[in-house]
Amino acid sequence: MTDGESGGADGDDDARAGSAAVVLRAVELAKTFHLGFFRRRVDAVRGISFSVRRGEIFGFLGPNGAGKTTTLKMLMGLIFPSRGRAEVLGRPVPDREAKRRIGYLPETPYFYEYLTPEEFLDFAGALCDLPAAVRRRRADALLARVGLDHARGRPLRKFSKGMLQRIGIAQALMGDPDVVVLDEPMTGLDPLGRKDIRDLILELGRAGKTVLFSTHILPDVEMTCDRVAIVVGGKLRSVGSLAALLSARVLSTEVVLRPARAQDGPGSGTGIDAGLPRLPPGARRLPGDAEVALELPAEADVDEFLRAALAGGAAVVSVTPRRESLEDLFVRQAVAGEGATP
Amino acid sequence: MRRILAVAKNTFREAARNKVLYSLLFFAVALILSALALGQLSVHEDRRMIRDVGLFGVDVFSVAIAIFVGVNLLYKELALKTVYTILPKPIARWEFVLGKWLGVMATLIAQIVIMGLVLGATLMVQGGWDALDEALAKALWLLLMNVTIVTSVAMLFSSFSSPFLSGLFSLGVFVVGRSIPDVRALGERIGGWAGRAVAAACAVLPNLHLFTPSGSALGAEHVSVHGAFVRASYLGWTTAYAIGYSAVVLVCAMLIFRRRDFI
Repeated sequence: MTDGESGGADGDDDARAGSAAVVLRAVELAKTFHLGFFRRRVDAVRGISFSVRRGEIFGFLGPNGAGKTTTLKMLMGLIFPSRGRAEVLGRPVPDREAKRRIGYLPETPYFYEYLTPEEFLDFAGALCDLPAAVRRRRADALLARVGLDHARGRPLRKFSKGMLQRIGIAQALMGDPDVVVLDEPMTGLDPLGRKDIRDLILELGRAGKTVLFSTHILPDVEMTCDRVAIVVGGKLRSVGSLAALLSARVLSTEVVLRPARAQDGPGSGTGIDAGLPRLPPGARRLPGDAEVALELPAEADVDEFLRAALAGGAAVVSVTPRRESLEDLFVRQAVAGEGATP
Repeated sequence: MRRILAVAKNTFREAARNKVLYSLLFFAVALILSALALGQLSVHEDRRMIRDVGLFGVDVFSVAIAIFVGVNLLYKELALKTVYTILPKPIARWEFVLGKWLGVMATLIAQIVIMGLVLGATLMVQGGWDALDEALAKALWLLLMNVTIVTSVAMLFSSFSSPFLSGLFSLGVFVVGRSIPDVRALGERIGGWAGRAVAAACAVLPNLHLFTPSGSALGAEHVSVHGAFVRASYLGWTTAYAIGYSAVVLVCAMLIFRRRDFI
């Protein structure tokens, strides 16, 4: 496992941050299922340890089938771990006081479709032991907050996927929890729906809530998360802040040039590439007609190439160093994980 | 208690918005009303006919509703994954099971009250206020106790089995439970290990015959819903039996539900 911040176990880092700052902790969580007639053994989660700190937005990433939902279900007390433990604010899950502090949105949530949003939120509030007056007040506020005020009397069976996701988040917030856990909240939503949910998560973060959400939609993570954990094949591969996890090393440099005149081929040919210097080894031409876009490898001398291009009469349109993205890291971890998983 | 009542209220609301239950209730009411016509065909036995057919209708349809709702109760929560939203809330799993059971019982009480009122009204049309007596109320109460057990048994099966199998098992328990005296007598006649197995089964299965005593002898007394029916003490101990048996079955359902993984 790589750890962006501590270089060791996530627990070391938490010790520095102070245990009071940790609101959710998974310690060596593991789950083995025995499926089918022959009780085939499936290790869904293989000893995952991580912690989420107060007030942070924590992304739980992994490809499909990585064990994200199983881990979250163990944190919510829906699945009993085969090994390890989970704690919320120092209390073991599924302790009632621990559950009182958590709001949870399951993956592709199903609700009682015969209820209206008002009835559903009232029900959710009653399960959190809230008095009727508080339930009414909170339901009104939450319906307005998730933009469902106009649909308060409509049965849930008539809701779109995005509306269901929003009412799901509203029910998770009925108990005014300290920690909000969302399982794949953006899955299946159109770009506008995704933006709504993303904004809502950021708003929760600003309101001081701790948010843990699982996803495999990486741009959403880059836009919202303070820290991430990457799980592959039931094992944790990385945990830490994006800045710490992503390498600062330049992987390649994209150069866009506008050549001076038409000649033969790159360096000496005809056409749009006229007057360009010879490409360094490993460089490649990117698609494009009006201008010449080139990707130079990390080891290429970009300065020298640009000097040569300018000397040949080309104009430099842009120079963009490309560093490791979350997608690169994710793919690297996923490939490494697949290789390591039996 | 608020959490349990919230689940019960939601369960009742679900049943109240279920069209299948309305259909069953419609057929029950139709059967009871048809007794009026059957009564016209009988000679001087019209009141007896209405009462017999009416109570038969209440019995059959309340058991059908108990099994239908009971077997779907927990399974539907799991199949539709609604339980994923509920159980992470600060509610214990046993509270959830108890709330569901209370919700179904509230549904059944409402159904039996409606069917009882229709039966009472039908009897009144035929015989005026005199047609309504204590025996009718006692018979309806016993039928309610009967479905209390049937619901609990259906719910127990529902905690680990599919609705189809749960329905079959529950129906089997109902049929055997209603015939306990005959099954027990059969076991005594067979004798040997098979007889002992039948006796053991009779000891474990609910004795639902207790809730339809009309026409049988209780000690030296012959009881009939058309005449001298059961005493208050009989109602008392059969009620205690129904509640006690249901409690044991419900605890078993809670224990199974408590250790389940919701994958």
